[in-house]
Amino acid sequence: MRINDAVTGAVLLAFAIAMFAYARTLPAIPGQEYGAAVFPMLIATGLAGCGVVMIASGRRRWQGAVAWNDWARTHHAWVRLAVVIALVLAYILAAPILGFVPMSIVILLVFLLMMGVRWWIAAAVAFAATILIQQTFAGLLRVPLPLGLLGP
Amino acid sequence: MSAIQTALGLVFQPTVLVTIFLAALFGLVVGAIPGLTATMAIALLVPVTFFMDPVPAVGAMVTCSAMAIFAGDIPGTLLRIPGTPASAAYSDEAYMMTRNGEGEIALGANLLFSVIGGLFGTVVLILAAPVLAEVALQFSSFEYFWLALLGLTCAVFIGTGSPVKGLVSLFIGLFVATIGLNNPAGVPRFTFGSTELTGGVNFIAAMIGLFAVSEVFRFAISHSVQAGPQAVMGNLFRGWGRMMVQYWPQQLRGNVLGTIIGALPGAGADIAAWVSYAISKKMSRTPEKYGKGHVEGIIESTSSNNAALAGAWVPALVFGIPGDSITAIVIGVLYLKNMNPGPMIFLNNPQYIYAVFIIFILANLVMLPLGWAAIKGARTILRIPREILMPCILMFCIVGAFAVNNSAFGVAVMLVFGVLGFLMEENDIPVAPCILGIVLGPTLEENFVTSMIKSDGSYLAFFERPIAGALGVATLLVWLVPVLLMALRSRKAAAPRQG
Repeated sequence: MRINDAVTGAVLLAFAIAMFAYARTLPAIPGQEYGAAVFPMLIATGLAGCGVVMIASGRRRWQGAVAWNDWARTHHAWVRLAVVIALVLAYILAAPILGFVPMSIVILLVFLLMMGVRWWIAAAVAFAATILIQQTFAGLLRVPLPLGLLGP
Repeated sequence: MSAIQTALGLVFQPTVLVTIFLAALFGLVVGAIPGLTATMAIALLVPVTFFMDPVPAVGAMVTCSAMAIFAGDIPGTLLRIPGTPASAAYSDEAYMMTRNGEGEIALGANLLFSVIGGLFGTVVLILAAPVLAEVALQFSSFEYFWLALLGLTCAVFIGTGSPVKGLVSLFIGLFVATIGLNNPAGVPRFTFGSTELTGGVNFIAAMIGLFAVSEVFRFAISHSVQAGPQAVMGNLFRGWGRMMVQYWPQQLRGNVLGTIIGALPGAGADIAAWVSYAISKKMSRTPEKYGKGHVEGIIESTSSNNAALAGAWVPALVFGIPGDSITAIVIGVLYLKNMNPGPMIFLNNPQYIYAVFIIFILANLVMLPLGWAAIKGARTILRIPREILMPCILMFCIVGAFAVNNSAFGVAVMLVFGVLGFLMEENDIPVAPCILGIVLGPTLEENFVTSMIKSDGSYLAFFERPIAGALGVATLLVWLVPVLLMALRSRKAAAPRQG
């Protein structure tokens, strides 16, 4: 999925303008000319410059806003990408309630089955990997992984 | 002398040695699997090292990166798929050798000259770093500003195909570095009232996203069929003596060039290998043999990429300026461990520096037996099904990003950067300048603002001190030369039309 440089450039330019406007509102250190605002404003200026150059070069090679390469034409690839992102989102939202172990098993199972792994291998891997990660991080490194349902 | 003894005591402890050994195995496996890069190996390792003492943490990262860079040669030779980008320069050549039935010579050369290259770079690191540290003691904010800028400049102009896209990546990284309270004025910037963001975007979570999660996304959309590799049956040590005698100039050139390119801020093992392969071909007496399975270029570039790894540590340890994305990650970790790189560490904690040197030597020596084992076990390693590996890596990333602050916010940061990294790579925007920007952003800003306040807003002061002036001119040259060349070329192209 190649987004045309002109589109990327326009997005960057808009972002840079917003960033510059925001940076201007940052308070100065009393009695100093150079404070928190200088550096973000310089970055915004640089980013805006890149945006303009990319708009110019993208317009010269315009073939539509997005050029779809092989993977992006297939419906399956998009679904798989969306599922993986959704799995991470699901962890962020549900792990504090359900706990690490159930979420990890679900995420691994869904991802493994989606990639065409046979169900019994997928189940075995999901359990084994979850226990291994749980033992390493919660056991060895004392990371307080969310207990959720398994907790008190 | 006592500092060296302390360092030996720090390194030669069972826990440290076991850590290094495990990191070596991990690096070998990750490096050998196509699609998993050396940088990804480090990114996956960092959440674990986060909980270690400084010496085992650094030891694990040094060993893991050295092994991964070597192991990238294995699938390059057997499958024509480089395991890491640093092996891409010569994987065609090495694969041709395999097809000619000389696979064991190619892999043997990769192993031998990786070790020698790594040791050469280490010697340079040991000799050069303390000397440079003496010089660096006299540096003020002006010099550090220019060094940081020079590092970022090289990352953009040398390390990437398109300077504009490199710059975009760099500015994104610098922007990310400005988020939070960590600025000279102590003002919350771009936090929009979020308490999580006041501490800034967590560097480890961002890096896991950029280097590991984006790779998982790319795997999810591809459906490549895994090819079965050929086994290497012959004797790996065949021809080692002959190659060392016959190709010593190539090897030495690869070592020297690799170390220099590695030490250049912003350019690392990948570029070292490409440059060395090109130079080897240019200087060779038999350039026609290149690309048809000739070991000469492999020797020079495989020496070069491992030498670059140690070379990259010179600016990282002495100035705190990373030489490539791996050392950028390492510097981020060193800061977290209160082992701030810079000349002061050579004075106050020299035992840590010596410990790093000892680990480098150890890592390169242990590469010989472990590398041999990895080549012999290549069939098994390359058969590990990626559809099973990648989901496990994703879960590992999630837990790693969570462990940094024990909050789901880290996982969210990881996801955002995973999507960002994926989109950037899809559009040929390099990721490395972004991570350098995140790491160097605070240094650059602090030294810039301090310098501006010191000089009362005069830009001339940036050139008044001799070293600062030289660094400044060098930085400006890197900016101006490509522009001048482009102008010259367009004039040349325009000239015939006028005439």
